[in-house]
Amino acid sequence: MKRLQLQRWSSSVLSPRARAGSRLHQQLYSTGLRLQSTASPLQSETSIPDDVEHVDIGDPGMMRHVRRVHKRKTQLQYPSPPVDAAIKSPKLAALHARLYLPSRLPVQTLARTLVDASADRNADFNNEALATLGHDLLTHYTSEHLLCNYPRLPLSVIFAAMYAYVGPKTLAAMTKEWGVDWATVPGGEVDPGLLQFKRIDPGTKVDEVSQLQSPRPYAAQKGWRMTVSSKIFYDDEFGDAIKGSAASNEGVTTEMASATFVRAVMGAIYLHAGRPAAKRFFEQHILSRHLNISELFNFSQPARDLARLCARENFEPPVAKIVSETGRKSRHPVFVVGVFSGQDKLGEGAGASLAEARERAALAALKGWYLYSPLNPRVPSSMEEEGAAPWKPAHVDVGEVIV
Amino acid sequence: MAASIAAPKRPFLTLPFLLPSWTDSLSLGAKRHQSSYRRTKQRLRVKPDASFGPSQQGRDQIIYNPPSSAPSVYHTPSKFLPINDVRRAMRADTPSGPNVNELPSVHKTEAERKYHLTPADIEEIRKLRLNDPMTWSRHKLAKRFECSPIFIAMVCEASPEKKQIQKQVLEAVQSRWGPKRRMAREDRKLRREAWGRDE
Repeated sequence: MKRLQLQRWSSSVLSPRARAGSRLHQQLYSTGLRLQSTASPLQSETSIPDDVEHVDIGDPGMMRHVRRVHKRKTQLQYPSPPVDAAIKSPKLAALHARLYLPSRLPVQTLARTLVDASADRNADFNNEALATLGHDLLTHYTSEHLLCNYPRLPLSVIFAAMYAYVGPKTLAAMTKEWGVDWATVPGGEVDPGLLQFKRIDPGTKVDEVSQLQSPRPYAAQKGWRMTVSSKIFYDDEFGDAIKGSAASNEGVTTEMASATFVRAVMGAIYLHAGRPAAKRFFEQHILSRHLNISELFNFSQPARDLARLCARENFEPPVAKIVSETGRKSRHPVFVVGVFSGQDKLGEGAGASLAEARERAALAALKGWYLYSPLNPRVPSSMEEEGAAPWKPAHVDVGEVIV
Repeated sequence: MAASIAAPKRPFLTLPFLLPSWTDSLSLGAKRHQSSYRRTKQRLRVKPDASFGPSQQGRDQIIYNPPSSAPSVYHTPSKFLPINDVRRAMRADTPSGPNVNELPSVHKTEAERKYHLTPADIEEIRKLRLNDPMTWSRHKLAKRFECSPIFIAMVCEASPEKKQIQKQVLEAVQSRWGPKRRMAREDRKLRREAWGRDE
């Protein structure tokens, strides 16, 4: 990469000291300007205060180096940045402005949402409480949105959609999109605008579920069947087994820390700016993400399921008829098959064989049933707004087809 | 060689890629200004193809615009709408499609459902299959009792020994398959699974 060459005529816009051209970076070093997260080797300190000693952060070599070279030793006695450092951080101010957060949310709280419980175990300074509140709000708003918009969705699809909207992977992607970077090692001296957490040791099995923590009875029985409806009672919002709380000195993955941060931001907005601001934030950042729910379905025998559905709803049994076809005797025929119940068409599918077209038509009919959406659906939390219209009961369906 | 020496037919300035790079800012049309915006926009204003017009409707044609596509699954069929849904009444007077009874069926012959088997027959089916599974296979039982093999599978199950024998037979057959046939079978299975995901 070429170095930036300052032109001769640019002298009027530059200060005389910075005009040194290629020696620009020397200028920066000589003034002693340094970032909080970097450690300049130019500075040498002689004495180490005793209160630094009890701070335990992962890598001892790194810690020793930081202690030796750091200017502000008083900050090292805390596991996370002090509160007054938040005002001075340009990263935090930029994040606050970028997310268009309400001005009632102070940067100090935003700094607190960036401190994971694995970095600072003191509940007064980490984001655990905020994240718990934010997680409840996010899952509540998402589930009521899904249930009111698509009242007939099967439970497994609801779980998948919940995971797609507010699952840890999505929240981690949002953190990346928001431009939040993370500190390599947490500590009192790092910039409060960085996400701070203690990393999990490499090689640790993340997905392992500790059976002792699971509320499910007979959880240790591997071969036992787990019904989808039992997941409502025993498992979390995404239908996954509840994991036990991590051991106190274990770290977390980047994904988990990022997800906790987004949840904490949601909780902080709710506490500082109130319910409408939290709802707006949810709509702008979570609901605005495009999710095609029709792609979450997976049927093994759609024709059989459709027959069961029609029998349950007292419709005439479904009949597959060829609507149109081309090239039956050729190498690439196309059949368009419609599934009819009486004179009404339930679904239509195209395929290279009659069996495929019939299967796809039954699938389209089933999706047509499950993806029913009422006109102008309202969610229960919309009643919390000022001057809301009287509540009309939402459509509640009898449930999915059980074969 | 002669072709390269021959003078270009178009004026040099309209072929900007022939010019050296320092002349980029000088060449015409390289930048859009307020004065050239309208001309650029006008050039982009293309007349739609004739097939988009309404005049094509009645005639025989092979070009359909917009091209046909699968109906959206978010469009709930009228039969699936709840009784109190407004859309049911709105769609009531839309003309229905072709008569369903006139459309050809997917199956060549519609299997007639007889419902003629009694509990005593079913008991006999179970007894036959349990006692002599080699003679009384599903298909032979279906032929004798005039029902479908699926019905036989619904009312009784083969004994574990018969299942074991059948599994060995299948393995013996599959061991003679070459890589081509094996891969073709696997692909067929994967394609079939893709139908259920609507891919």
